Amino acid sequence: MNQDTTSAAERVGDTVNSEYIMLKEKIEHFFAYEGELLDERNFDAWLELFAEDARYWMPLARNVKHNDTEAEYTREQSDAAWFDEDKKTLLQRVMQLKGGDHWAEEPFSRTTHIITNIRIQSRSETDVTVKSRFIVYVNRREEEVRLFVGKRIDVLRITDHGFLVQKRSIFLDQSKLLFKNLTTFF
Amino acid sequence: MAKDKDVNMKCNSNDERLVDAEAGLVDRTVFTDQKIFEREITEVFGKSWLFVGHESQIPNSDDFFLSQAGRDAVVVTRDSDGEVQVLLNVCTHRGMPVCRYDQGNAKMFTCPYHGWTFSNKGDLTGLPLAKEGYCDRLDRKQWGLVKARVTCYYGSIWATFNDEVLPFEETLGDMTLMLRDFLQGPDGEDDGLEVVDGILKFEIHSNWKLGAENSAGDLYHDVSHNSVQRVGIALSGLRGRHAWNADKHTFKTLNVAYPEGGHAARVNLYDDEQREYHSQWSQIPEVDDYFREAHDARQKRLGEKGRLLNRGGIVFPSIAYNSANRWQITLAVPRSPGRTEMWKWYFVPKKAPQEVKDALRHYLLRYGGPSGMVEQDDIENWASAQVGAQSLAAQHLPMNYMLHMGEAKWAWPVPWLGEGAYVDEGVSEHAQRVFYQRWSEMMGHPVRSRGQEESK
Ligand code: FES
Ligand SMILES: [Fe+2]
Repeated sequence: MNQDTTSAAERVGDTVNSEYIMLKEKIEHFFAYEGELLDERNFDAWLELFAEDARYWMPLARNVKHNDTEAEYTREQSDAAWFDEDKKTLLQRVMQLKGGDHWAEEPFSRTTHIITNIRIQSRSETDVTVKSRFIVYVNRREEEVRLFVGKRIDVLRITDHGFLVQKRSIFLDQSKLLFKNLTTFF
Repeated sequence: MAKDKDVNMKCNSNDERLVDAEAGLVDRTVFTDQKIFEREITEVFGKSWLFVGHESQIPNSDDFFLSQAGRDAVVVTRDSDGEVQVLLNVCTHRGMPVCRYDQGNAKMFTCPYHGWTFSNKGDLTGLPLAKEGYCDRLDRKQWGLVKARVTCYYGSIWATFNDEVLPFEETLGDMTLMLRDFLQGPDGEDDGLEVVDGILKFEIHSNWKLGAENSAGDLYHDVSHNSVQRVGIALSGLRGRHAWNADKHTFKTLNVAYPEGGHAARVNLYDDEQREYHSQWSQIPEVDDYFREAHDARQKRLGEKGRLLNRGGIVFPSIAYNSANRWQITLAVPRSPGRTEMWKWYFVPKKAPQEVKDALRHYLLRYGGPSGMVEQDDIENWASAQVGAQSLAAQHLPMNYMLHMGEAKWAWPVPWLGEGAYVDEGVSEHAQRVFYQRWSEMMGHPVRSRGQEESK
């Protein structure tokens, strides 16, 4: 999935200091706010949290040999994927959802986004890379239930007005999608 | 609720018909009944050629990937001699899958249970305790992996485990025109496509036939796609979802069905044979340039047949293809009457510049599959129709396929569509009637003679 570049000290949390904690608090708040916007179907406000050059990507997972884990997820910008979006196409998806005629989401599903295990992987003056886990519960109409669980890596741009999602990579723990549709944002 | 005698089927027909193609009626139980499902597995899937993949997935010797032939899991390999093999993924000793990786490169497959080892040609090469246990008496020739008959057709790979099924091209009949056209690059060159790495696999709670009949030629369900038409995802600069919407030439929309094999396609037939290219990718000029050149080359190569724009269809029973700038194959893997796995292969033109491949890949990913802005609504429909198929109170009422009955004609309006082409124009459920008639024939149910709906 990705190479962990953390040092031993970082892994046991020795580098966790007050500066780290403050930044992590801010990120946690940002993610909670973002999830809330999605769960409240405030898609326009959600999209404003993305940078103009944002990338939003969810590769396919495959079952591969233990020494071939490089091939476990399809490659970015060359292979098939569940999602491979920029801000313009995310906007198209939001427009589709909002029209009341996108039958796969009409009436809207009820969703709850849970973002947890947040860890700052690296930071610079301009951006911060964050790893996390997600659980997304979807209940549609009466009995239709979907549960998506996986990992996320976000690159957040630091601006004067808070964070902007610059890149989001979403790694779903399913190789075969066990549900009929992916009509939810992650 | 109406209990009109005319539409009651099983209740009052003498011959137990589940399908009355002439009247446009299909009994609901064909979508829900476990016994019918089991029969389909043997009579329909077991006696058809099935798409299992594309040669571009296994370019090198010893490459392999997992696929499905109906309900059977298979390993598709390119063996050490460069031959394509389709092997049943079932160990001949006690039935374990011998390969559990979606793709890779391997000269042999060792079963994890007792260690029987098979070459990528399917031969049993390694047998633990061959001497001590079997006293060298086990005939290895008899215990290799079960091998399918294989046909490679312009890059696509087809398999069947049945010895009696006619050769592949014979079962296609005049559908060869459509399948070959699909497998060509946009410039009309044979075997012009390559697979985008990664097969999309997902699960729907619908009978496999609901997806198949939709792909055969349901041009009636436009309302389903309102939302994506409104937003517009094609890169033509217009609203809508198809790049070819930007083509200003006039055409007829045809449902072309081939009753002999049960195959069908939906096509645009342009009035003008040597039409010039109208920009369809104006948002990316480099891509537009590629398609302009390809269009000209194709017109030259195909002559009068260049009037055809093949939009998609099915190779009976369950292989749906889409073309016209969104090349994909969707396989319906039957799991139970109400549960189907969908496997989706995306294609791009082999020889196109990377920029064109990228643009097409993005378009495909936004179009199809469970995250596709078009197909999400199709998948929703099929799952919802399944609920209706299970209704007890509606059991006496067959599903309705009466749209545009009695209008189809043989090989009309263009003879090069083939003698086996049974064609209807515009919005029609003609292709669905042909699909269920063929299904009924294979299931061994009584059917009336073909083509009765033809107008006098
Ligand atoms: S089941 Fe495969 S070796 Fe026994
Ligand atoms: Fe559709």
